[in-house]
Amino acid sequence: MFGYEFYIDPSRCIGCRSCLQACEECETHRGHSMINFDFIDREEGIQSAAYVCWHCDEPTCAQVCPADAIKKGEDGVVHSSLKPRCIACNNCVLACPFGIPKMWEPEQQMMKCDMCYDRTSIGKRPMCATVCPSQALAYVRPEDIAHRREKPSNTFVFGNQTITTKVYMMVPEPAQAVIIDAADYIWEARR
Amino acid sequence: MNLLRSKSAEPLWKEEFSVHTSDERYVSRRQFSKFLVLTSAAMFVGNLWILVKSWLTRKPVYPEALIANLSDVPVAGVKLFNYPTPDDHCILVRLAADRVVAYSQKCTHLSCAVYYSAERKQLLCPCHNGSFSAEDGSVIAGPPPRPLPKIEIETRGDQLIARGVETNARG
Amino acid sequence: MAKLPVSDQQLIELFGPHLNFQPPGGWKDESVHPPEKLVKTHCCFCGQQCGIQLKVRDNTIIGFEPWEEFPFNRGMLCPKGVKRYLQSSHPDRLLDPLLRTDSGFRKATWDESLDFTVRRIREIQEKYGRDAVAMYGGASLSTEKSYLVGKFARLALGTRHVDYNGRLCMVSAGTAYKLAFGIDRSTIPWSEIPKAQVLFVIGANIGDCAPITTDYIWRCRDNGGRLIIADPRITPIARNADLFLPVRPGTDLALLLAMLHVIIRDNMVDRDFVEKYTTGFDQVAASVRDWDPRRAAEITGVPPDAIEKAAHWFGESERAIAMHARGLEHHSKGVENCSAVINLCLATGKIGREGCGPTMITGQGNGQGGREHGQKCDQLPGQRHIADPAAREHVARVWGIRPDELPQAGYTAVEIMNAIHAGEIKALLCLCFNPLVSLPDSNFTREALSRLEYFGVIDFFMSETARQADVVFAGSLHEEEDGLGCSAEGRVIHWQKSVDPPANARADSAILIDLAQRLGRGQYFQFEDKDALLNELREASRGGVADYYGITYDRVDSEHGVFWPCPSLDHPGTPVLFTDRKFYHPDGKAHFMLAEWRPSGDPIAADYPVFLTTGRVVSQYLSGTQTRRIGALVEQYPEPRVEIHPRLAEQHGIVNNDWVRVTTRRDDVTLQALVVKTIRPDTVFIPYHWPGIRSANRLTHRTLDPRSKIPEFKVSACRIEKVSGPESSPDSRPAHANATEGR
Repeated sequence: MFGYEFYIDPSRCIGCRSCLQACEECETHRGHSMINFDFIDREEGIQSAAYVCWHCDEPTCAQVCPADAIKKGEDGVVHSSLKPRCIACNNCVLACPFGIPKMWEPEQQMMKCDMCYDRTSIGKRPMCATVCPSQALAYVRPEDIAHRREKPSNTFVFGNQTITTKVYMMVPEPAQAVIIDAADYIWEARR
Repeated sequence: MNLLRSKSAEPLWKEEFSVHTSDERYVSRRQFSKFLVLTSAAMFVGNLWILVKSWLTRKPVYPEALIANLSDVPVAGVKLFNYPTPDDHCILVRLAADRVVAYSQKCTHLSCAVYYSAERKQLLCPCHNGSFSAEDGSVIAGPPPRPLPKIEIETRGDQLIARGVETNARG
Repeated sequence: MAKLPVSDQQLIELFGPHLNFQPPGGWKDESVHPPEKLVKTHCCFCGQQCGIQLKVRDNTIIGFEPWEEFPFNRGMLCPKGVKRYLQSSHPDRLLDPLLRTDSGFRKATWDESLDFTVRRIREIQEKYGRDAVAMYGGASLSTEKSYLVGKFARLALGTRHVDYNGRLCMVSAGTAYKLAFGIDRSTIPWSEIPKAQVLFVIGANIGDCAPITTDYIWRCRDNGGRLIIADPRITPIARNADLFLPVRPGTDLALLLAMLHVIIRDNMVDRDFVEKYTTGFDQVAASVRDWDPRRAAEITGVPPDAIEKAAHWFGESERAIAMHARGLEHHSKGVENCSAVINLCLATGKIGREGCGPTMITGQGNGQGGREHGQKCDQLPGQRHIADPAAREHVARVWGIRPDELPQAGYTAVEIMNAIHAGEIKALLCLCFNPLVSLPDSNFTREALSRLEYFGVIDFFMSETARQADVVFAGSLHEEEDGLGCSAEGRVIHWQKSVDPPANARADSAILIDLAQRLGRGQYFQFEDKDALLNELREASRGGVADYYGITYDRVDSEHGVFWPCPSLDHPGTPVLFTDRKFYHPDGKAHFMLAEWRPSGDPIAADYPVFLTTGRVVSQYLSGTQTRRIGALVEQYPEPRVEIHPRLAEQHGIVNNDWVRVTTRRDDVTLQALVVKTIRPDTVFIPYHWPGIRSANRLTHRTLDPRSKIPEFKVSACRIEKVSGPESSPDSRPAHANATEGR
């Protein structure tokens, strides 16, 4: 959708996986969920994170594809591999620094989040951002996100590779470390 | 190749196989097929247009022109003239006292100028030995594929008037 | 009835739970056969009542589409809402009435099963009296159906014993709010939440149980609001708390009393408000004089400075909201707990104005609507009390009977089960309730049900309770009947019918009306058209606190819901309560209610040294009859795990994934451990959505709050020990329903 951007804010994620369930309901990749969901370290804390494809400006997956099967459209969306060209070599799966592309062996095709292209190309919002109950995944205009305390950032540095993306990550203002062990809060621990 | 390409930071393969659809010079089979079909269709329509146009067109109207006086042309004599335009060279032959014929002088083979041979009563082409009958312009011998186009001559008293060019049926 | 003739295992093979993974026709079908229409309706699960659109083709539901215009959730949904549509066209769906035989169940006709029921009820009532028959309703029924249940039980069955599964949910809050305000409803719509400066959330796992509320809370924080969370566990929203209070299970009241103590001590009381609009402050103030933070810290395990901070943040802010859910209410002092929260708001004047108020988060789909119009054992339509003569007059007149024909109050849900066990109640008709999984102490429940002389269940799947029944009537799903519901915020909404009940299944209301006719009471159940039932409800509730007189289907559709009380057709509804500072008691004032400390009902002892608390996970709903049949949801959280802090686990040599036996005074359960730091080291947690040997309710106890009669699910005493492996199980894992595509 013109004028709308995708923002990911893991600090808001409550781990409900509504995004994961809704993702497989969209038309482009029905039955396959493209969301990457993790508990960061469940023993240590309840922090969870859900990610969609970052739709990089210069997508690494596309650059390493030997069959020129991955394309980034003019609206910035990086699509799943073109079925006639994809040879299921897994280069993209290995190369993506975010670990987004998934190889579907039975269909011999790489599939990934394409921002619900069947929806965003006709003016609807992607499934995940529509259903997310905490709006950790949000698809809104930049002015609607401006009031949040976290700020959007789209530059990632992986070693020597600096990547800029279409999807923004919400980054907190500098914050102190937060204790996440329930035992550290109880009175007996502090006496 | 390298001499023609300007220096850039991107390696060649990134430009040739760009991942951005906006850079693609890729023509799909569908686009190409469409192109072929449309062009063929255009040509077909063009041909139809020409056909229809020819059905609808009337016979051309030729101007009358005074060629010569009968008294100036002896029997078995020849008069060269231009009809209907100055570039159309024609030849008039007085076969008998009361018989005058005229033809285009352009040999139907390769457009050399034909001349009249009185002994043989034929119009001969010196280039490849083609010969036409002086009576009706038909081909007697040689490579010419078609008869000489006839010029219609009307005798008005002493005047010889060219009236038009006979359109040939296929012959 | 007595022991099941067939094993549970065999019934599971026949009736499920089996897992449904794909829409009818498979994933690819929708591109080939697109939907004919989108029906705007609401989720069938929790009290948030998110708006959703269902895709319908050929009288079949094939998918869903978010409904972004509905103002409460604006297109957002939790995973249960996303996958809800897979419960339709389910292979386990009951399509015919079933009668019990020696070898299981056999299909029967409606005539046969209804006549059998009528015969048995008449026989039992003749032999033992009218009150030997009881009825269970539920809080996922539409408001019209809940009204019908109350009327049916009293006029058709003629019994005083009618109650519902909301007895396990909202009654503590309901009692406390009724005592304080004279009205049982959330005092504010959710749109007030982002306006608060302080959000005090106690006993509410919003991230797992009311996910859509999360966005409201985050927006409050975006506006600079501060979040205080009191919970024995670090739940998903507690991660972002500005102040986290890890209350020991069962001790919330001490925390709240100490907070009030600090508010009074440090002059944060709104004297003006208390004078003008309330009564009873002095008595309550005296009762908290000895509740200093240090004393509360001893009891709750929350540091005294944290208690002081919480009290100051709440008291000093201009606008603050206190939200609570079952964590606070599932206690034998659940009413006191809620009263203490209300007292905090009353003392600081935080009510009836912007960004202020106490509110309960209603958990069940129509937990609000279902507790308004007579489905409760002591209630008449309009939130009237059954003993009130004026109420009896009004309702009797609407129903066309004499007031003395109306029974008086009967037993509550757990009390009904106790009476069944004791042999006082001989027959039970049950719909929208799965007591074998939901009631505490499930061994007791199972034994009780086996003593019934007649047991009829109306359900759409063969729930664990239905397996025990003599008759199972094939009833209707949420999407198969039209009706109204009321969401957690007090907004009356429209559940549009999407499809017809399949095969020989019938609408629940049609079954009840048919039964009423066969019981010879059909003249009280004549509803000529689809508006007739609502119109009667509107009349019956008119003039009561829960006044629905101004609410019609058209208004609800065009206004995206109407907040009750709505006494007339041109009344806009009442989103925020008490803006005029008028409360619903005869004296027009709010009442401070005394909340006095007492310990919980299942005390810690040497042989039961660990606290057990029970609760939910986001991918399952209540007893799981529906959500344990949806493949994607079961995969998200397949088996109940017992959450144990590493320190406690280490003491018993337990590591993550070890099998652990948890034993209480009632029974024991063996589950795999989830060793996490997000729970108090003296507490373990088990989610309760599973039946049989995985059921947390085998462990819980039947102590009730004396006033609300809610069971004390949230605190029991247990011990844990590592064991080598799982119990050998009569239940098996659910089988795949779609054999075509593996996942």
